[in-house]
Amino acid sequence: MADPRYVGLLDHITATSLDEDYAHVAEKRAAERGSGVDDPSRPGRRRNLHSASIVALLLLGLLLTVAGVQTAKSKPVQQASRASLVAQAKDRRDQLDVARAQVLRLRKEVNRAQAARLKATQAGTAANDELENLGLLTGAAAATGPGVKIVVDDNPDAVTDRQTVQDLDLQILANGLWNAGAEAVSINGQRLTNLTAIRLAGKAITVNLRSLSRPYTVTAIGDPDQLPARFVESAAGTWWLNLKSVYGLQFAMTREDQLTVPAAPPLTLRHAHRLGTGR
Amino acid sequence: MIGALGLLAGVLLGLFLQPDVPFWMEPYLPIAVVAALDAAFGALRAYLDGIFDDKVFVVSFISNVVIAALIVYLGDQLGVGGQLSTGVIVVLGIRIFSNVAAIRRHLFHA
Repeated sequence: MADPRYVGLLDHITATSLDEDYAHVAEKRAAERGSGVDDPSRPGRRRNLHSASIVALLLLGLLLTVAGVQTAKSKPVQQASRASLVAQAKDRRDQLDVARAQVLRLRKEVNRAQAARLKATQAGTAANDELENLGLLTGAAAATGPGVKIVVDDNPDAVTDRQTVQDLDLQILANGLWNAGAEAVSINGQRLTNLTAIRLAGKAITVNLRSLSRPYTVTAIGDPDQLPARFVESAAGTWWLNLKSVYGLQFAMTREDQLTVPAAPPLTLRHAHRLGTGR
Repeated sequence: MIGALGLLAGVLLGLFLQPDVPFWMEPYLPIAVVAALDAAFGALRAYLDGIFDDKVFVVSFISNVVIAALIVYLGDQLGVGGQLSTGVIVVLGIRIFSNVAAIRRHLFHA
């Protein structure tokens, strides 16, 4: 079928864009006419077929309009379904926020009620004190005291990733503070506990599975006289000094007499039990 | 002239009736439209070339539409519907372009 002159597929398509049948039929008709065959039925047949091609054109118009109308019709439907999905997501998020706030409020109530009940008896008061101490150590209770506040931020003209604060930097900073004698540490209000992970999720750094936004405020409760010096002398201090001088990251440490570190999100231990309880 | 009237009547009919396209037919409609357009432009070019034939036009119109829809259907069944539709659109598009170019040459003698 393909003319050997047209080697490429595109050339072939362009060259045969007109249906070859037209040429065939025209040739045949010319041959008939040339041989003098008179066909009396032709005019009638032609008229018939003419109406057939009008029907075909009518069909073409119909197809065009129906396709256009259909596309126009389905567009608002698609947009509406998208909008309703967005609205649903927003609704659910609001519900979640409300539920979270309620959980927080109820937990405070429980704590207050628990403390009140325990303080009623002498043994209970001792247990309550122990509970508060343990809470302070594990991060289950908010802590207050003197310490240092460190605000770190990206280089204002950051171009590369290295000129921004990364999860590793915050990890080193936190570890350096623990090393320097900090007793309770939080980053942007997220208390660091033994189950806290500081890591990158997408573009944001998450602490306690909450994503934070810069600038990062690290609050550390500890001896305000020793903490800064010991931190600066440590490997973490060197790391951050380097970040500051080479990459232009912002780092500001201030001493504070009165700092508050909030409680961590509550821990629910599902599988770990105290040794000897037998469960 | 009568052909243009037929086309116009089809458009008006479609606008007036606004028929609902069955769900299973929806993916094949655009391809069928492009195939029909190709047949129509081919017919116009043949008309200007002086070799137009009703029978050829009707047959090419119907076969174009049916084959285009069939290819896409087959592609859908084989899991390559998207690629096959693209192929069909490319081929038909090139044909339409070169036919329109020929029509232009006829009309403007350029």
